[in-house]
Amino acid sequence: MERAGGSRRLSIPSTQVLEEQAQESDDLTDSEESLYSGLEDSGSDSSSEEEAEDQDSSDEGTLKGSSLSKKAQAGVASQKKERVRCQRLEAESMPGAQQGLPRRDEYEEDSSDEEDVRNTVGNIPMEWYQDYPHVGYDLDGKRIYKPIRTKDELDKFLDQMENPDYWRTVQDKLTGVDVRLTDEQVELVQRLQKGQFGDVHLNPYEPAVDFFSSQVMIHPVTNRPADKRSFIPSLLEKEKVSKLVHAIKMGWIKPRRPKEDTPSYYDLWAQEDPNSILGRHKMHVPAPKLRLPGHEESYNPPPEYLLSEEEKLAWEQQEAAERKLNFLPQQYRCLRAVPAYARFIHERFERCLDLYLCPRQRKMRVNVDPEDLIPKLPKPRDLQPFPTTQALVYRGHSGLVRCLSISPSGQWLVSGSDDGTVRFWEVSSARCMKTLPVEGVVKSVAWNPNPAVCLVAVAVEQSVLLVNPGLGDKLLYGATDQLMEAYEPPEEERLQPVTWAVAAGAEHSRGVRLIIRHGKPVKQVTWHPRGDYLASVLADDGHTQVLIHQASKRWSQSPFRRSKGQVQCVLFHPLRPFFFVATQRYVRLYNLLKQELAKKLLTNCKWVSSMAVHPAGDNLICGSYDSKLAWFDLDLSTKPYRVLRHHKKALRSVAFHKHYPLCASGSDDGSVIVCHGMVYNDLLQNPLIVPVKVLKGHAPARDLGVLDVLFHPSQPWLFSSGADATIRLFA
Amino acid sequence: MAQLQARFFTENHKYVVDDVPFSIPAASEIADLSNIINKLLQAKHEDHKYVEFDFLVKGQFLRMSLVKHMEAENISTEEVVEIEYVEKYTAPQPEECMFHDDWISSIEATEEWILTGSYDQTSRIWSLEGKSIMTIAGHTEVVKDVAWVKKDSLSCLLLSASLDQTILLWEWNVERNKVKALHCCRGHAGSVDSIAVDCTRTKFCSGSWDKMLKIWSAVPTDEEDEIEEAANRPRKKQKIEQLGLTRTPIATLSGHTEAISSVLWSDAEEICSASWDHSIKIWDVETGGLKSTLTGNKVFNSISYSPLCRRLASGSTDRHIRLWDPRTKDGSLVLLSLTSHTGWVTSVKWSPTHEQQLISGSLDNVVKIWDTRSCKAPLYDLAAHEDKVLCVEWTEAGLLLSGGADNKLYSYRYSATTSDVGA
Repeated sequence: MERAGGSRRLSIPSTQVLEEQAQESDDLTDSEESLYSGLEDSGSDSSSEEEAEDQDSSDEGTLKGSSLSKKAQAGVASQKKERVRCQRLEAESMPGAQQGLPRRDEYEEDSSDEEDVRNTVGNIPMEWYQDYPHVGYDLDGKRIYKPIRTKDELDKFLDQMENPDYWRTVQDKLTGVDVRLTDEQVELVQRLQKGQFGDVHLNPYEPAVDFFSSQVMIHPVTNRPADKRSFIPSLLEKEKVSKLVHAIKMGWIKPRRPKEDTPSYYDLWAQEDPNSILGRHKMHVPAPKLRLPGHEESYNPPPEYLLSEEEKLAWEQQEAAERKLNFLPQQYRCLRAVPAYARFIHERFERCLDLYLCPRQRKMRVNVDPEDLIPKLPKPRDLQPFPTTQALVYRGHSGLVRCLSISPSGQWLVSGSDDGTVRFWEVSSARCMKTLPVEGVVKSVAWNPNPAVCLVAVAVEQSVLLVNPGLGDKLLYGATDQLMEAYEPPEEERLQPVTWAVAAGAEHSRGVRLIIRHGKPVKQVTWHPRGDYLASVLADDGHTQVLIHQASKRWSQSPFRRSKGQVQCVLFHPLRPFFFVATQRYVRLYNLLKQELAKKLLTNCKWVSSMAVHPAGDNLICGSYDSKLAWFDLDLSTKPYRVLRHHKKALRSVAFHKHYPLCASGSDDGSVIVCHGMVYNDLLQNPLIVPVKVLKGHAPARDLGVLDVLFHPSQPWLFSSGADATIRLFA
Repeated sequence: MAQLQARFFTENHKYVVDDVPFSIPAASEIADLSNIINKLLQAKHEDHKYVEFDFLVKGQFLRMSLVKHMEAENISTEEVVEIEYVEKYTAPQPEECMFHDDWISSIEATEEWILTGSYDQTSRIWSLEGKSIMTIAGHTEVVKDVAWVKKDSLSCLLLSASLDQTILLWEWNVERNKVKALHCCRGHAGSVDSIAVDCTRTKFCSGSWDKMLKIWSAVPTDEEDEIEEAANRPRKKQKIEQLGLTRTPIATLSGHTEAISSVLWSDAEEICSASWDHSIKIWDVETGGLKSTLTGNKVFNSISYSPLCRRLASGSTDRHIRLWDPRTKDGSLVLLSLTSHTGWVTSVKWSPTHEQQLISGSLDNVVKIWDTRSCKAPLYDLAAHEDKVLCVEWTEAGLLLSGGADNKLYSYRYSATTSDVGA
């Protein structure tokens, strides 16, 4: 019984005191008793002797339900009342209950059986009995009457005033009687109000015993002997290990990769260029240096550093900023006599200002040599040969020489002049071999490029003359004459824009063979590279500005229906059936086979004066009166690949060499500029244009300088004709 | 003033001085050195007359002060300088001026006569005294080159090449002063710019603008060679041009890609031809094959060969006269260039008697006499012409001739000092 009581005590809350009263008399009645469990102070103390009494009964193996009777105290406030349930364990229901184990009723707390036996109405709102004289019934079924007279406010007031225990008097709602709280009860209330435990003797701050401490104890925490399985090898583990061993043998599990011991940091400045301007330590800007003290700052300066009276006066009158010295040198007898330095704070402040305001940023001066900005071009010396010096002067004309052309063999040169003559020259000796007088200014001459024909087209006023100069191979010019004579007119006359006439008499003896009479002045004449067709440009605004003639059939046609502007010059493509027509601002490239416009080049010039096509046919140069030379790469774009502005005045003529990578431009400023114009076979490589030489020699006359330039067909020689009535050969 | 140690020597026994080193001022020029030698000679021979000397240091003519020359030639001034001295060449004396009607394109002279070709389509024969003996007309175009074939007291054979693509072989009867066209050499398809007769005087070669080099027989015959005329050739023209018997070439050598400007026989069986294709080709006449090619980088105007020094001199379309060794195989090595002209060199001619001297004419109107030992400065400038010099000639008798575009033929007497030649 003692054990049972001890174990029971463990199972119930410590604040609750359970009193078990096993009374032999009660055992037989088997009645349940609800006893008040009020606020007890000493209930637990009495239990031990009472329990000892029913020791024999518990020996029987049954724990009889015990009802605890307490020393109930009537009139205890119901809200503070702890109801202790008495348990009744029935022996019949628990026959196998073990002797040593305490039984615990799990419904202990929420049983509705615990009733206040003073009033049997149960747990109802007492307002229901408001209108009745009673408040319920007692155990015997008799009415419990309210106190005779319910107190009104006045009674309460009087009571309050007169009763010294009023503050500790509460009304028991069940019975309606006033209960005066005892001192113990008041104390308990006060303790609870303060948040303390109800039990005075309970120490909430017991010293804690650290059971599982960090210390390793020599004794086990539990006294339980170790299991057997702790001493025999585990089969499960063996199985697991053998699986792992198998996996390692099969190579499924790789041994752990050794940890790389490379450092996890990296060199922040590893990538830094040691020569970079912005590199470390390069941006160091030293603090501005203080001037070192001189003799005049000495406490005992040499007399020449001391200021005289006038100097002192002058010093004082000077502005502080203008003073050469910011102090007056003074002499002291000894160092001890030197007073505190008055300007010390001021100077420290200025020094701090200096340091603070010192520019901390280094100004990067962009050190660019202007020479570096010029594109790297090969030296002209490496681009030889090109014409460099004047070699021969062809004198004989009396007017400005407008046009030049050369025989395909390079032996003869023909020139047309304003003096109304066409002259034929021997290239090598500058000898005028023939002079052909014509009526009017010769605007253009063109030697037939076909080496098997000896014909020169001369544009004079309104007609184009086809002249056989009778120079070179006799067979050749004889054959040319025969070719001319062998012409048979077609049966029906065709309507032509021009009239073809055969020269006769004196003209024939001078070499003129055919005369193509245009209605308008002819500006330019040029041959197709095969030498049968020739094109002429008329000074006209209509659509018949350009005419194409076929010399063998004496047939002319006007290729364009509409005028696209004033045509400046025309040119046949050297290889393909293309035809260049230069108007004032554009160069149009027509496909003669398809009879359509193939390309339109935008020259960006104000007024195109001349053009020349590269012998390979993919590049074109255009000279303009606004002193620009535009180089077009026909494969590249319709805009100029390069524009050269080397001339000071209008360009009159441009030319390409047939074999050497040379091009030249003649200008009104009297100079000829020779450029190395290399065109590569590689389509990806752009042409290389290097001006290599300025050739001067022609004296400008009447604001005209060089009027035509021309390259020798085989040698790197350049002919230029000028307004000074000469032709010059540069070699 | 700095002094130099110099030792003087000469090949001429007449003017030998003692072979001892002299200390002479470094800045001395030719006149100073000449004075020294003359004083030494006077000390040796009482009857010595003053002689002008020229001086050579390591084979180069002295043309400035001694110290400057040595600096330029990179000769050490520490050692004793060997200075050779030769009698100064006397300046060429102008003799005659022969007026033509037109430009003179070519000259060839013998001991008695001068043959010139002119742009007025004629060739002329002149006496050395400047008297016009004969005018040979027959070409229909400019005469480009002339040559003597055979010179006899009775009759002479001569050639003239012309722009009309023919070469005419003339016989000139000296006594009766009559010329007769013997043969008309046809075959070129361009102007014949240059002809040259071989040393046996039986063959000649011609170079033409049609890039061909043709070899012809120079022996007059009575037969006419068959000529394959082009069928379409006008008949009447053929009639007009018929002057002498037609002759066709023995051989045609082709290989040049541009016009041939100058031909010569460098040997009995060897022809050199200079061309506008920047090359000099040397041909073997026997086989008709090309022996070697000398490549330059400019058009050649004229070449000349000296059998004495076996070198070719070339005048080209720049300012330089270049000397070549024709025996090098396919080289382009220039032995020496003589530079002083300011225009194209149109004509060069070696001295037939002196192995180091040559004459050149240029478009800068000046004729220059050169010594190969002085390549920067010529010996003499002959600036008589008023227009382009087109041809020069140097006869064995020491006569210098030059003709040009001013229609004048100048002749000079020049004694290429025998004293030096003998050495």
